[in-house]
Amino acid sequence: MPNLQVCGGAERLSMKPTDNTGWFFVLPAMAVLGLIGLIPLITVVNYSFFEIFILSSRFWVGLEWYAELIGSARFWQSFARSALFSMIVLLIQIPLGIALALCIPRGRIWIGLSLVVVALPLLVPWNMIPALWLSLLNPDTGILGRLGAVLGWPANWKDSVLHTWVVIVAMDVWHWTSLVVILCYSALTTIPAAYYQAAAIDGARPWDVFRFIQFPRLQNVLLMAVLLRFMDSFMIYTEAFPINAGGPAQATLFLAVDLGEEIKAFNYGPSAARSVLYFLIIVTVAWLFTKAQGKLEDKAAS
Amino acid sequence: MILIYRHLGAIKIAGLLIFMVFVCLPLVQMTLLSFIATLPHEGLEVGQFTIRNFTTILTEPNLRAAFANSIAYVLINICITIPVALPAAYAFSRMSFLGDKSLFLAFIAFRITPPVVLTLPVFQLFSALGIVNSVFGIALAHCLFNLPISIWILQGFISAIPKEMDETAFIDGYSRPRFIWSILIPQIRAGVAVAAFFCFMFSWVEVVFARILTTTNGKPISMAISSLFGFQTDIGLVMAVTLASMAPGAVLLFAMRNHLSRGFRIGQV
Repeated sequence: MPNLQVCGGAERLSMKPTDNTGWFFVLPAMAVLGLIGLIPLITVVNYSFFEIFILSSRFWVGLEWYAELIGSARFWQSFARSALFSMIVLLIQIPLGIALALCIPRGRIWIGLSLVVVALPLLVPWNMIPALWLSLLNPDTGILGRLGAVLGWPANWKDSVLHTWVVIVAMDVWHWTSLVVILCYSALTTIPAAYYQAAAIDGARPWDVFRFIQFPRLQNVLLMAVLLRFMDSFMIYTEAFPINAGGPAQATLFLAVDLGEEIKAFNYGPSAARSVLYFLIIVTVAWLFTKAQGKLEDKAAS
Repeated sequence: MILIYRHLGAIKIAGLLIFMVFVCLPLVQMTLLSFIATLPHEGLEVGQFTIRNFTTILTEPNLRAAFANSIAYVLINICITIPVALPAAYAFSRMSFLGDKSLFLAFIAFRITPPVVLTLPVFQLFSALGIVNSVFGIALAHCLFNLPISIWILQGFISAIPKEMDETAFIDGYSRPRFIWSILIPQIRAGVAVAAFFCFMFSWVEVVFARILTTTNGKPISMAISSLFGFQTDIGLVMAVTLASMAPGAVLLFAMRNHLSRGFRIGQV
């Protein structure tokens, strides 16, 4: 069905007039983000080259903190754990989010109801999310905990690496899949009904409708969803640690935990170097994503 | 394959329902615990049904203050974010200016910067400005992620308005700012509401900035809950506070349900 592919892919080729007064309109936003984003960022970069006991006296140490960090096994281990966690989370949440967005029934009431129920986890304060899951898994009082005893879920699951990972991944899927669903659903609603009618006339199967009509519309939003979910899961901080204190044997110690510890101890230099390193990782990944997006747009244009 | 296609409707509903049950499980647990006495109190035994946890929220001054603080900083945040985001969203949607794509990406880069990376300098900067331990400090810090998201959402809504409307207004002698104020904003009311809702949602539950910026005063709900944990935690009270903290969001979510999916339409910037 090549005709379907054409109508699904190309969109919004309208031209915008070149007008550099646009800068005046974005100026307030730049001022706010400059104050609370850029200035702190520059400060962090600056601190990362110094040994700081108190802020008024500091010694230039050059790249020492960076060398220390890159040379430490602990950093690379938690880097690998965070990367693995992000991969698992993306592999579950993105397909699940797309599938659920496609499952939302038509009809105004049902759409509203589905979105409201699905979005509920986004309203829970982040520091309460691990507490909710711990009480859910409590072997004496929790719903899943009591059920788990029957189904073979061990009461001492905190001793097991695998079980701790399962809990943290399930918690993150619970918390954030709804964002992917909302994003995907909003992209799906932009598809004109005429496309579906054309597909029905051509006798398209549901899979073809997804492949040639729905998926092309989802691509841009999906890039954004992947980007947001990757960053937030890669830097998971508040939620993951209280589940099992990074254990057992540091098996769930993620990147942001060490940074949080150093900041709490007011180790300016090392924590700044760590922040810069994390920021560089994030910028690199974001840059790769925009490259991918550029490729997608080229494909859509050609 | 054909069997799947024939029952596709039923499979879809079943899948959605299973996920909804999964979503509700921890929430049901929370609701159950919030109505149970988990520490012995006067005339109450552990495990008894009670609404004491909820009445405590009303009588405890710390908790009442926390709710007031949370509401205050979220409102301040929305009042900063929306007026700043609107003109920017308009520019990204309607004008092509030098470096517009790079600037949009830079804005998004701030959204994906983990707050924990910036906590230390933000704390110092805000100390120097004298806005730590105040609701205004948290409100300003949360612009870091709310502003890019709002620009993105509003930009999508503005792009959905036909360009001819701008052009007609300019021929009628409207200036751009006057056009935005008196014609565009009424047209994208729903968009403003959606953006404000997402500001509320991301700001209400955030803890990293909220923790570092409120050491003595101005604690929001999330931090008030944290301070309830201790040697003997009254988990029922914790759950009751959490449930109560979700109530305003749930009401707004329900009110916004038909517009929720209309944000996040990505135009090409």
